[in-house]
Amino acid sequence: MKTNDVILQTASKVVFFIIILFAIHLFFAGHYHPGGGFVGGLMTSGAIVLLLLAYDIKTVSQGFPIDYKILIGVGLLFAAGTAAGALLFNVPLLTHAFGDFNLPLFGKTSLHTAMLFDTGVYLVVIGVTMTIIQTIGESE
Amino acid sequence: MAFQILLNFFLAFLWMFLQVSFSSSTFIVGYLLGLILMYGMRRFFKHEFYMRRVWAVIYLTLLFFKELILANVDVLKVILKPKLDIQPGIFALPTELKSDWEITLLANLITLTPGTLVIDISDDNKVLYVHAIDVPDVQDAIDGIKNSFEKAIMEVSR
Repeated sequence: MKTNDVILQTASKVVFFIIILFAIHLFFAGHYHPGGGFVGGLMTSGAIVLLLLAYDIKTVSQGFPIDYKILIGVGLLFAAGTAAGALLFNVPLLTHAFGDFNLPLFGKTSLHTAMLFDTGVYLVVIGVTMTIIQTIGESE
Repeated sequence: MAFQILLNFFLAFLWMFLQVSFSSSTFIVGYLLGLILMYGMRRFFKHEFYMRRVWAVIYLTLLFFKELILANVDVLKVILKPKLDIQPGIFALPTELKSDWEITLLANLITLTPGTLVIDISDDNKVLYVHAIDVPDVQDAIDGIKNSFEKAIMEVSR
């Protein structure tokens, strides 16, 4: 019984971008407003899961040829690297540095190394969620 | 269509550089000037002037809001009637629309106007199966959808 999924697929293609943009917004809002790496990562996986529902596992893995297990490693490397980076400056582990910079496009922006740690969290959350879902989905 | 919008953007940028003021208001003025120039040049383009299509999109939106209000009133009448004398039914609506997004748009417009609901699409994307709350005359219902929504979508994508 093969049903016609044309409406679901067309709508998913559009909605996917909206969800991803919202996830990125959540990720960057994390410092001053509710949000952050964890929610942003979950949202991003949610967008990919929507595509998985509309299409099938093979199509989506062709569309995003990412090994999510490697993504977990990259994310952990980001977090650990941010933690260990403090040791180079003779301060305790996980000490963060921050400051205000004048970037060419954004104007006056405050940058914080916690952002890099959050990037690690973001990648790990995407990797773990997608690994779980794909493993469950592929097992017959 | 896409080429014309791109050209219009380039004209607006050119205007900004000619004025040596890089603000959004200058860009808008340049865009409007570009529109006027392109309207004058419309016979030289391969496709028709793109503002007609923009207007078609606006018209489709307005039509949708009109139909939404009218259909809601109709459903309200059905609900508030003491006697339930409706004739629900499922009919096949043959459609001439081709691409995926056109069919999605038509199906969503039919579903969002109360009283009718798309329940399935045939495998070759040629027939939509619509459930209606009250169809005394199937041909009327088909013609109504065809003349309003399908024509308006055709106007956009023609």
